[in-house]
Amino acid sequence: MNSKPSIISSLFLKIKQLGSKIFLWFFSKFFTWVIVMTLSLTKRKRMSHDNGIGATGKVTIVKDPKFPAHEFFEPGRVFPARIRHASATFLDDAMSCIRSMSIKFSDKEFKSPFDLEMNTGEISLFWSAWSFWKFARLRQEKYGVEYINYYKKYPEGLKGAEVALRRDNESFHDLRYYAKTPFRFKGKDNIDRYVKYHIKPYDDIPETGIIKNPSAVDTGNQRISPHETRGRNYLKEEYENRIKTKGAKYMLQIQTRIAQDDDDQSVFNNMVPWDKEAHPWHDLAVIEIDKTLDWVESCKTSFSLNNMPKSLGIIPAKSIYDFNSLNYMRAHSETARKARLLAYKLFGYPKEIPNNDDRNSEDWAKIQKNKRSKMMR
Amino acid sequence: MPIYPKGKTEKDIEKAYREASEVSKIIYPKKLNWFQNRFKNLNHFNVHRRDQDNFLVTIADFLLMIYYWFIDQYKKFIIWLYPRKDTIYGVAKDAYVCGKLTFAKKGDSSTPLHNMDVALWARTKLGGWRKLAKGYTERDGSFKLYFDFLESRKFKYRKFYFEVYQTTHVFFHQETGEALVKDVVFERYPIKKSEFSGMGYNLDNIQLFYWEYRTDTPLPRVVINDHDQDAPEYYSEDRNKAIREQFIPIELIKEDHLAIIDLNPDLLTIPKIQADYPPNLTTAMEKILPYSTRCDYWFGRRVMNGMNCATFQKDEKNEGLYWVKYFGGCSYPTNDEYAFPTVEIQFELAENGLPLPLKIKTIGPINAFNKDRYQVHEFTPNDGEKWEQAKRVARVTGALTAEADDHFAGTHLNTEQYAIALRRNVRKNPIATLLLPHLKEVALINHTADTVLIGPGYIPKASAVTEDGIVERAKDTLGAFDWKNWKPMEPISDRHTYAKAENLFWELVEDFVEYFFKENEALIEKEWYEIYCFSNDLVNNSVPLFLSTVDESTLSDSEKAMNKEKVKYFHERYRLDPNLQRVTIDGVVKCISPITTNENAPEEGDMENLKAVCKYAIMMATFMHTFINEHQYDDIGEVLYCSLGLRFGDSKEGIFRPEDDYSISPDVTRSTQMMWFSNLLSRTEYGFITRDEEHDVDPYFCKLLKSKTKEFAELNVEIDNIESRTNI
Repeated sequence: MNSKPSIISSLFLKIKQLGSKIFLWFFSKFFTWVIVMTLSLTKRKRMSHDNGIGATGKVTIVKDPKFPAHEFFEPGRVFPARIRHASATFLDDAMSCIRSMSIKFSDKEFKSPFDLEMNTGEISLFWSAWSFWKFARLRQEKYGVEYINYYKKYPEGLKGAEVALRRDNESFHDLRYYAKTPFRFKGKDNIDRYVKYHIKPYDDIPETGIIKNPSAVDTGNQRISPHETRGRNYLKEEYENRIKTKGAKYMLQIQTRIAQDDDDQSVFNNMVPWDKEAHPWHDLAVIEIDKTLDWVESCKTSFSLNNMPKSLGIIPAKSIYDFNSLNYMRAHSETARKARLLAYKLFGYPKEIPNNDDRNSEDWAKIQKNKRSKMMR
Repeated sequence: MPIYPKGKTEKDIEKAYREASEVSKIIYPKKLNWFQNRFKNLNHFNVHRRDQDNFLVTIADFLLMIYYWFIDQYKKFIIWLYPRKDTIYGVAKDAYVCGKLTFAKKGDSSTPLHNMDVALWARTKLGGWRKLAKGYTERDGSFKLYFDFLESRKFKYRKFYFEVYQTTHVFFHQETGEALVKDVVFERYPIKKSEFSGMGYNLDNIQLFYWEYRTDTPLPRVVINDHDQDAPEYYSEDRNKAIREQFIPIELIKEDHLAIIDLNPDLLTIPKIQADYPPNLTTAMEKILPYSTRCDYWFGRRVMNGMNCATFQKDEKNEGLYWVKYFGGCSYPTNDEYAFPTVEIQFELAENGLPLPLKIKTIGPINAFNKDRYQVHEFTPNDGEKWEQAKRVARVTGALTAEADDHFAGTHLNTEQYAIALRRNVRKNPIATLLLPHLKEVALINHTADTVLIGPGYIPKASAVTEDGIVERAKDTLGAFDWKNWKPMEPISDRHTYAKAENLFWELVEDFVEYFFKENEALIEKEWYEIYCFSNDLVNNSVPLFLSTVDESTLSDSEKAMNKEKVKYFHERYRLDPNLQRVTIDGVVKCISPITTNENAPEEGDMENLKAVCKYAIMMATFMHTFINEHQYDDIGEVLYCSLGLRFGDSKEGIFRPEDDYSISPDVTRSTQMMWFSNLLSRTEYGFITRDEEHDVDPYFCKLLKSKTKEFAELNVEIDNIESRTNI
């Protein structure tokens, strides 16, 4: 008699969980299709990181790994690599932006055995699918100022922005990038683990562009500094020169922890970094970049969290409030990527960001409409 | 003139007094009048004639009353159906709501609201309430309420509310004496369910119009936008009921008179008006024993132990003699119709210990022709009828000064400043439960007084003082009221029953406060920050020290001399310590002394200061106010005996004319209004210490007072009539 109520309540719980998962699936699909219809097909735009530069090279797994052995990360194994640096949202490198670095262990435009998408800052500005929805809805951008109401309402979002934004950084190369939401890791020992990834310059040079003493009231103001002399593409140009002259070398690192049945949900929360003493960063691979890609090739280059071995993929999410729902949404955004590539085929590749006086801009459409002189065509 | 009525003695007058007291005693009937919508509360009283409603309007009014009754019942039903339990729903504390509470008023908007009781509630789709989190604001006004995020995502919840509470009443368990605080929602902020996203949600800076100080007056007063809908506190329903039950007959008399006056003022006379109202002490005494209230014996007796409860200042030149001084218009703005001379009365103490008047000196205009504010006239008992008239003038000036200085400034305004500072700052500290029962409702009655009595109300129309004059005078007089080193009046004789009663009551208050502190000392110390803020508000918002802002170089010699007299007399009357070091803020010497300058814990002397403040505040709000208020009916309940003003009239004699010269008395309108007021202020009292109608008086205090029933009775004070707060 006693077991009956618990069976019923368990059943009820299962139904509830299933409902949440279904809702999460619908939610992700809905979001993706919104991106498809408003950005990918119609404007040939990515969701946020249009302003970027691609490059190629190779990635070499370290010979003496300190992290648990994994068949994919065989010591010394070398992969061809493609990376893409970008500045989020705005089409002006001199603005205060979150900078990104995505990497694929392959020199193809898309196909790859392992992709990672990372941004600056150890914590993010949102922490679940639902939180991301609020983030998107409260953008309310105008003249280079955005998320004012979002930062007012969500203190952690503000904190994430203060930590992640970079202004006046000298290069993409010297920044630190984090994949903040954890992933699965089932190594050769068959023990379930969670991992986080992080990239830093190989020679560990100091990071530039960190905003010191950020103002809680003004974080949303991402406009260029008054009397800014650098152009809209200064970071991409710097990177191009850097690669031409000396190349770029990075260290990809990994942080692991064993999965426990009673793990607190905060383990998956990308707003809560894991303790470095308890879960130290270990070197995983050296990334060496020796060639930048042109604008068209950079546009074509896409990344996906589905490009991962099963043993290294995303952690399942249970609902739109689950901290793992962020990676879930990322993994379910394939349609948007495909739609963008389709749009390229149908309407041509988008124009490059010009080095003009149209500062503080995120107007992608305006660039596409810009007339070019005959000499440029 | 004789000291007693012809052929009579003190014994006869006292006998008449006792009989008249029984006749004029105020009894509170229990009958409820159904037409209560016309008197929702005290603020709906009007000294003028009410607008005449036609029959349809009366019906509509009645139907509206029924409608409001149904709404009230519906609300009560909803509260019963959806009770709000103090259980926290949810287990995890993985999300939070944060923000900051500050005051809203300009100039006050960065002042944090510390220790405010706050909570996060969820409302279910079926209307039920579920509490998700509760807490208090910090010193800087910030709060962070942790709640279970997944609990908040449940389908059953419709909306969320962030609530800020205010303590409105303190009740006491009748057996244990435990203070039970009643909190009500002060503000409620809805939060959409979709706003929560896990982690934190910032409600930002919430500014509350919470017990803010008025900026349109130099007096420390609280803002009340609407007495019924937008006030920092409200009367209890029983208080409003008491007014309705007690006052309908009086209101009808006034309406009747005003209707007749509208028709033809000559149809009414002052004696007729007087006769229509219930008899007061003096009219009843005159009926039993004519001239009993006009004789010298009665005059001295009432100056000493009546509403005026005057201060007898020793005559520096004549040993054994005393002076009583009522400062009249002085240099305050006055009108041209009514006289308000300063009156100084010289007394000697008779063998029976009561004062007998020897000389009455008036300083100021007494007729319409000579407006010299410093002209002097003297009268003695040898002046025959003029002496009788001089006594009347003295009574009138005494009554108005008692009303303006002792009653309005000394108790009402004085108590309100402590009430505001307490409400703004003291919440967790046990001092809140000590003082709140005695400081509540004073702000409401003062707000009513602004329109009914002071501002465009009765006094500027029926006396010499103007609207501006009252405010200026109140500001100056309030500058003589400080808690520090205050002590009760010293009796000058065995028959000085008022002073003895004051001392007796003070002893009880001291006993009560000492007991309270002994029981609660640890918690009082723990929440000392509230006392620090309380002290700051009290001092920062207090008026300047009495006459400290006056530039002597601009005054005439007469004005300087008058001010000197005033300072000396006020120091003695209000027991203001002239030698005390006072705080200066922005170049202004403040009247009220600080309790503490220490934020975190009391230093030496601070606890004693706090005790003294508590004793003082309770004393002013209870005994000091009750005595004056209660005796208004006795001493200004007969128009011809004593009104609040005498008109100059047309003759050169001015205000020195017989009582039957109605050209110097208030006119018939003002006469009936005066009677209406006198009855209003004395008949509609509610909230007595020993009667403890709402169980909102500390039982220990009740017990102490009851233990002195006999002693007070011997001093002609009925303890059941001593109010627990100033609400009338």
